[in-house]
Amino acid sequence: MKTFTIKKWQVLLGCLFLFCSVTRGQSGNPKISGTVTSENGELLAFVTVKIESTDGKIIQGTTTNESGIFSTTTLKAGSIYNFFFSYIGYETAVVRGYQVNEGAGGSILVRMKTSASNLDQVVVIGYGSQQKRFVTGSVAKIGGDQLASYSAGNFAQQLSGKAAGIVVNDASGQPGSNPQISIRGIGTLTAGRNPLIVVDGFPLTEGTSFNYINPNDIENLEVLKDPASAAIYGSRAANGVILITTKKSKSEKTNVTLDVYTGFQQKADKVEYVDAYDAAIYFTEARDWGYVSKNPSARSVTDDRATRIAKGASLRELPLNYLAPYLSKQPGLVNTNWLDEIFREAPMSNFNLAVNGSSAKSSYYASFNHFNQEGIIINNGLKRYSATFKLDSEVSKKVNFGLSLNPSYTTQRFFNFNGGFDEPIGMVTAMYPFFRPYNEDGSLAISQQIIANGPEDGALIENPVAAIKMTTNNRNFFRLFGNTYFNYEIVKNLKYKFLLGGDFASSNFDFYNPSNLGAYRTPAPKPAAASETNGTSNNYLIEHTLTYTKKIGEHDFNLLAGYSFQKENTKSTSITGTNIADDNIPNVAGASAFTAIPERDRWVQVSYLTRLQYIYNQRYIASATYRTDGSSRFGSNNKWGKFPSLTAGWILSKEKFFPKQNLVTFGKLRATWGKSGNNQIGSYGSLALITGGNGANNYVYGSALAPGFSASTTPNPNLSWETNTSYNFGADLQLFNRIDLTAEYYNATTSDLLLDVPVPQQSGFATSLQNIGKIRNTGVEISLGTNGINLGAVSWTVNGNISFNKNKVLALAPGQTQIISGGSSNIITKVGASVATFYGYQVTGIFKTQEELNSLPKLPGTLLGDYIVKDENKDGVIDTKDWIPMGAYLPKFTYGISNVFAYKKWQLTLSIAGVEGRKIFESNFATREESGEGFAMPTKYYFEHRYHPVNNPDGFLGQPNYGNFSAARRSVRASDKFIYDADFIRLRDAQLSYNLTGALLAKAGISAARIYVGGNNLVTLTKFRGYNPEATTGSVLTSGQSVSNYPVARTYLIGCNINF
Amino acid sequence: MKKIAINIIIISMLFSCTDELDQIPLTNKELSIFLRTETEVEEYVNATYAALQSNSLYGLYLPAMGEIPSDNTFDEVPANDAAVYGDMDEFKTIPANGIVADNWRGSYIAIQRCNVVLSRIDKVTFKTEATQKARVGEMKFIRALMYFNLVRFYGDVPLVVDETKDPNVFFGQGRTAASLVYEQVIKDLNESIAVLPATAVPGRVVKTAARALLGKVYLTQKNYTKAKAEFDAVISANVHGLLPSVADVFSLTNENNKEIIFSVQFAAGLNGNTEGSIMYQQFAPSGTVSGAKGHNLPTKELYAKYTDADTRKGVYVALTPGGVPFNNKLKRPTVITDGASDVVVLRYADVLLMQAEAENEIGNAVAARALLNQVRSRAGLTNITSTGQDDLRKAIELERRLELIGEGHRWLDLLRTGQAISVMNSWFAGNNILVTVAQKHLFLPVPQGQIDTDPAIKQNPGY
Repeated sequence: MKTFTIKKWQVLLGCLFLFCSVTRGQSGNPKISGTVTSENGELLAFVTVKIESTDGKIIQGTTTNESGIFSTTTLKAGSIYNFFFSYIGYETAVVRGYQVNEGAGGSILVRMKTSASNLDQVVVIGYGSQQKRFVTGSVAKIGGDQLASYSAGNFAQQLSGKAAGIVVNDASGQPGSNPQISIRGIGTLTAGRNPLIVVDGFPLTEGTSFNYINPNDIENLEVLKDPASAAIYGSRAANGVILITTKKSKSEKTNVTLDVYTGFQQKADKVEYVDAYDAAIYFTEARDWGYVSKNPSARSVTDDRATRIAKGASLRELPLNYLAPYLSKQPGLVNTNWLDEIFREAPMSNFNLAVNGSSAKSSYYASFNHFNQEGIIINNGLKRYSATFKLDSEVSKKVNFGLSLNPSYTTQRFFNFNGGFDEPIGMVTAMYPFFRPYNEDGSLAISQQIIANGPEDGALIENPVAAIKMTTNNRNFFRLFGNTYFNYEIVKNLKYKFLLGGDFASSNFDFYNPSNLGAYRTPAPKPAAASETNGTSNNYLIEHTLTYTKKIGEHDFNLLAGYSFQKENTKSTSITGTNIADDNIPNVAGASAFTAIPERDRWVQVSYLTRLQYIYNQRYIASATYRTDGSSRFGSNNKWGKFPSLTAGWILSKEKFFPKQNLVTFGKLRATWGKSGNNQIGSYGSLALITGGNGANNYVYGSALAPGFSASTTPNPNLSWETNTSYNFGADLQLFNRIDLTAEYYNATTSDLLLDVPVPQQSGFATSLQNIGKIRNTGVEISLGTNGINLGAVSWTVNGNISFNKNKVLALAPGQTQIISGGSSNIITKVGASVATFYGYQVTGIFKTQEELNSLPKLPGTLLGDYIVKDENKDGVIDTKDWIPMGAYLPKFTYGISNVFAYKKWQLTLSIAGVEGRKIFESNFATREESGEGFAMPTKYYFEHRYHPVNNPDGFLGQPNYGNFSAARRSVRASDKFIYDADFIRLRDAQLSYNLTGALLAKAGISAARIYVGGNNLVTLTKFRGYNPEATTGSVLTSGQSVSNYPVARTYLIGCNINF
Repeated sequence: MKKIAINIIIISMLFSCTDELDQIPLTNKELSIFLRTETEVEEYVNATYAALQSNSLYGLYLPAMGEIPSDNTFDEVPANDAAVYGDMDEFKTIPANGIVADNWRGSYIAIQRCNVVLSRIDKVTFKTEATQKARVGEMKFIRALMYFNLVRFYGDVPLVVDETKDPNVFFGQGRTAASLVYEQVIKDLNESIAVLPATAVPGRVVKTAARALLGKVYLTQKNYTKAKAEFDAVISANVHGLLPSVADVFSLTNENNKEIIFSVQFAAGLNGNTEGSIMYQQFAPSGTVSGAKGHNLPTKELYAKYTDADTRKGVYVALTPGGVPFNNKLKRPTVITDGASDVVVLRYADVLLMQAEAENEIGNAVAARALLNQVRSRAGLTNITSTGQDDLRKAIELERRLELIGEGHRWLDLLRTGQAISVMNSWFAGNNILVTVAQKHLFLPVPQGQIDTDPAIKQNPGY
């Protein structure tokens, strides 16, 4: 895999210009002189100039003088020569076929291009770095400026589509949410899925939020994709490792840069509900058919309320008492679009000021950032204030040290989007348009729907606008992480490094739900609810490493040995208050009784690591690593994990037999094998924990409370890490010196899967945590990068990648063939198939006549107006044996294309990310909006296509039914009706910028300035009708189940970067 | 300088922290070092009783499972809560039904807690041996109660009486024949009768509770003689009796009275409202209290069977202002989800009526009538005079409906007396509801999740 940084100077400037003019020399031979400059016109002194005759004989070597000028009088008139210009940091410039004219002089102007070969880039590989050309593993490198084209609060969102093999699922657009990063598919089922994030050598605890790393501070980001590369991080590396290198001072001059942008975000999905008049028709149809279908011979749709009650109708079979004016189409009635009420256009802005520079032996970098993202749902958003301080100092030639600190403070207005009727998206699914958000006097309307719907048991939902505005749900986070290092060159080539890292985090969650707000099925007033959770964690790392480098002839050695110790302590206390007398104090302090749940957790890891890298003749590369991790998380029989890797590479293009040509200028083959682990198994998973002191364990004899404790988990002294063993084969080619092509194949098998295995419940437990089972991920990744292709005056740089992944479960627990998950038990992880495959019935139509109902096989409980499903196995019975696999969330392939077009002072960047072969189970639609159960609001799509024998006889979606909604209809939730294609192509980011120049800027002390307009997610092409085509759950086993997933916003931005 | 630096490096690199790798939980106890003392065993015993409070058992579902399929109670809004009650009411229960899944799991959680205590209690020294013996008896009673419920609702069920060391051993084990489960139930109850005390603090299992339950097991097996012997022992133990006023039986201020033989305890306002039940709210008619769900409501037909003379009318079952009958044995809590009403499992009136049933089946009509009339006269009703076996059968059946409404008996009574299909089909026909009860409905389906987990567990026929 390869990617590279796009530097502005690469794209803004052309490559090489050659001007010839004729002057006459003074001596016998004509005098040829030349000027060598850099691309931006700086005169380059001491450039080596080599002149060869056409037969390859060196005629002369010289250099340019301090003014960048060289001259020669040794060339014979009439002959043809080749000129070679070389200088460190620049690509060699060649002027071929220069003919010295008889009796005339000549002048050559050469512009040298900064050395741009990606092969010379330095890649961070964990406990060291390596030139890209010698890298044998699978490492993706993404530059900070490449990330920055997507304006976001965290780097994970910026990473989407930017590198092969890395899938970023922005499953929730709620500001502050952490996208899921999947590197090369899914290799775990129930252990943590988070990649390890290492910032400047300090591994943050797994599952850490990405929001504490200011994206503006990122210089480079490397992703170690194959376990061989990641093996140096041992038991924490199986989900991949992301190495973040933060910016540091690059020059002696003091640089001040200011990056500012502001803009707004908007909802960009396809969810639309019907208006009040259509809703009235829908609810009436549902209640009528519910009533009649219970006994069509005895009941009639024309029965009035009293008759229905007399005939034993339940509440849900009665017409809603307030709908008559709507049904008679009386104009001007209340007709609230609740989606418009809870969604909004929301501002987003970022202010980043960075200062860096250096004095004699020290350099510094400091930045200050304020990021503010309001949510596209009202009263929801994130604010972050953060800073970075870095200092690097060279005490002597042998000793240097440095320090970095990253404090941040984040506040979040948060909702738990879980589909419940206490969060905005969940509530709005069943909020009827017949009610207003506000009273005439502008106050919030409270409990109107609950009260109005009570007599007929409609959806008893509180006004979501009131709930959003009146509920407090704030989260504050303070975090400080950083590290200090000390380097000492003990003897020549032997370097010692000490690293001390620390991470301190504290959080406070504050919840208050007042008494004058109703709740689901409960009109106001109700008892107020309040809780508070306070947590702290501290984590520290001590690391000693020794590096020895040696070159003996053509043999390059690099030996690393190290020891690492890391420990984390977390504590949290949740306090729930009850008996809240009034709403005077809107937090837990207003309560008069409290329950507290304290939790503490600790883990320790001790590691030894070593690596040998060897290069022969710049041509053959080999390396071996070995790391052993001891972890307090592992069971007593399995305390130490061992993680070896081997790699080899061969640079073909260095071989003599490799033809010298300009087409393929570099070629490398490489292979790796390695093991890495996943230790995200909970701190005490190996122990049979006793829980108690709570309602589920305490008892009361008479009125005497007796504390109870019992085992909540099964013991497992063998519990250990998951092991990912993989092979990786790759080929890197460079064409024309400027097109880099990489292709890779990997085969990664995770064994000893940590599974919370469902066990037969007669054991007294529902699940048991075990290391059992295997998953294999195989895939192919192709990426292509260019350094700027000239299309006339426009320079075009493009990076593209495409990744194919195939996932297969090889084994589960003994005797276990599948794990069934999901709200409709239709997300199945089965041996031989991909993780979390959707299953369901194939709907073939609607039962519209009694004859069909009598003759066709059907689900138990099927009524007229319900679905006909295919009897797949043709046994005459419809049951789950008729389910067929319907794909999975895990995409078949993903791709990304990033383009930079430069024209004079203009620059346009366009990044596209796409996902193909993905399915989503829209469980909100299945159970609510498109279920046809006359409880929730119908989508426009459902309403237009619902079946009703009179009102819509051609409809193909199940007939609305409320009072008698059948078990068959509930079963059909698991069907192709609710498992949707969620492929998408997204214009992830687009940015048009202009570089300002001129005397005015200089007067203002500005050395460079760029202004831009742009946006995120401006275009999304998808067939998916739900909120978010990236919707999924936290659990791997229910991947792709969409439940109230916050839509990802479309964002319009304007911004500038100014260098002082 | 250089030497100092090297020494520091070497020394610090030798520093190793492998001892730190043994971390014990900071806010949890751990089973391997638990149940070593009497106090710790008592904590586990408390947790075993607490398992009975779970919604999956007596906290919510068992009273509904025992009655909602019957003609005594119904579901006001069948679609509520994913129709888990509605489907049971209308004989549409599917294997994925949430009540079924929870009840199965909750039963085995309680059983396993019994197994853990029973496997370890002998190694612990108690201050008094009697306490230790009593705890053994209590655990065996609870285990028997769980298996007795399981076998009646599901038929064959897996039988486990040991502490689980490795849950994997259960794969492939399948269900145990109901007859063997009954054997274990009878064995456990006999062993608990041997060690349980006659009286104990409120809420704990006493000897008569085990006898009453054993009598009920025999009655279910139609072993009337053995049933009668147990009920006789309960009656002659003379620790229980009918209260003079039906209003006192379920009064919150009079819980654990002498009529109560065994009840699962609930209390309001304790430990952050964690010892109450949500049953009142769930079983309240829609709209009467916040969050009311209208599950398991007494039917109008049943309410109509209380004559005006019956003191239980308005006391056991009352009407809302809108005229909807509701179970008034559950008392309205201050915090609606924190109900204090205990859930009665065994009651003296139940024992009298079961004894009447046993006597009547044996042919002792006079004895049967006398027992029945005890319950009737307490309710202010006149005595039954007939001694015809069938008349008495019908009278006992009706009395059980009126006396035990809302306590989760009627469906199990119908099953025991073999009338479930005939009674329910005529009830549905009479109420103009298109439901037909068939043989398969006499057992609930085994939870789909269990069959999915271990295909060795086979589904009941017809599901």
